[in-house]
Amino acid sequence: MYGRRASQLLKEIDSSEAGQLAPFNSDVFDQVIRECNEHNSQFQTLIRKMVDQNLDIETTRNEDHYGAAIHHLSLLRNKRCLMAYMYNRAEVIQSFRWKVGPVLPHDIQGKLHFSEKEYFKNHSTAIKSYISEMDIDLTVDMVPPKDPYIQVRVLEDIGEVSLGDHSVSLTKNSLHFLRRTDAEQFISQGLMEEFLE
Amino acid sequence: MSSWNDDEDLASASAAEAATTDVELLKRAWRNEKAAPEILRFDSPLVSRVREQIQLLEETLDDFSDSGVDDLVVSLYQMDLDRTLFLLRSYLRLRLQKIEKYAMHIARSDDLLSRLSQQERRFTKSPGSDGSAFLVVGLVPSCSEIMEKHLEQSVLSKLPYGYDSVTRQSLSSTEDDMVPEPQLDTFVFCKTKSDVGAFQLDDIGEEVVDLVADDLYVLRYKSIKGLIESGRIDLI
Repeated sequence: MYGRRASQLLKEIDSSEAGQLAPFNSDVFDQVIRECNEHNSQFQTLIRKMVDQNLDIETTRNEDHYGAAIHHLSLLRNKRCLMAYMYNRAEVIQSFRWKVGPVLPHDIQGKLHFSEKEYFKNHSTAIKSYISEMDIDLTVDMVPPKDPYIQVRVLEDIGEVSLGDHSVSLTKNSLHFLRRTDAEQFISQGLMEEFLE
Repeated sequence: MSSWNDDEDLASASAAEAATTDVELLKRAWRNEKAAPEILRFDSPLVSRVREQIQLLEETLDDFSDSGVDDLVVSLYQMDLDRTLFLLRSYLRLRLQKIEKYAMHIARSDDLLSRLSQQERRFTKSPGSDGSAFLVVGLVPSCSEIMEKHLEQSVLSKLPYGYDSVTRQSLSSTEDDMVPEPQLDTFVFCKTKSDVGAFQLDDIGEEVVDLVADDLYVLRYKSIKGLIESGRIDLI
């Protein structure tokens, strides 16, 4: 059945949770590409057959024309599915830049196609360039602020960090009273957590 | 700027004046941007004014910590600063994320490009955009270019000739039918600021709605686009 493998890719996108990526399915992807090229050569063969019989391609409506039409439309469907697959994954990758930061952890990197890794890097650079042009950090302050200072507990050894005009020693399991914007970047990396009594 | 000055001037200033402080305007722009499906016009003067005021507030706070002002007052000013900063950051972030999503669509429309700030425009589309940004060392490629390159590299280069265009399905497509666009006819909640009177909702003239001041409505975004731009309706 034409187009069934391509819809498998789409089902994969549909069934994964929002904001999560499944590993890149290169097997099915390559199969769909092969299908496309198959369709194309079949299409060309049929068209050539009609030309050899001196039939006008634009207007003739025989079984070859319809066969060619089916191949053409199946190719288009496969193309749309492939593009949708890549595009939707790219959208999730975009969201990673905001949620996780400019460097992706290894387990996510393992799920990406090499072109997606490049896409992430270029996209990150573009965002960084915009942020530095505007001179406002857009990756902090993701949630409306309730308190200017929060209590945090350090989860992993970070060492000496200079915040504002004084430096703080962030050792594991120590409690600190930090400005919210300073703490946010550590919290999003999972190195700190908010300490709620 | 902040609600603090408003409280002090409450005796003299009228309520109408207080409602149009820059923070209020920013909040309104932020709310509209959040609810609208497409990107709205960038209010450049408003953003510059807000940034100046943020700077002023930061300096005031520095002075406070030097002169030993009461902690409670300091933290209240700090709170105000944080909230304004959040609004500004969120406003810019919302816009950037909309651009990320519809980069190719925006890059191809002069009208949409004109709604962006200069920096946003550079983010969306490189000047001269013929893919040259990838070749010139040191020049940052734009969002739309990056997406196109990614799609070409992964999918299109492997497809047969005639089917390898990013914007068209195949050579037989009559228009650019593969560019994702925002849905302009989604329903949005809105509130009128003043009497608009009888308003035509669609082109055919079949649906006419009477819009009264300060009322809540749920309408298709496309129909009220013009009213939002002129500021007579707010999205919520």
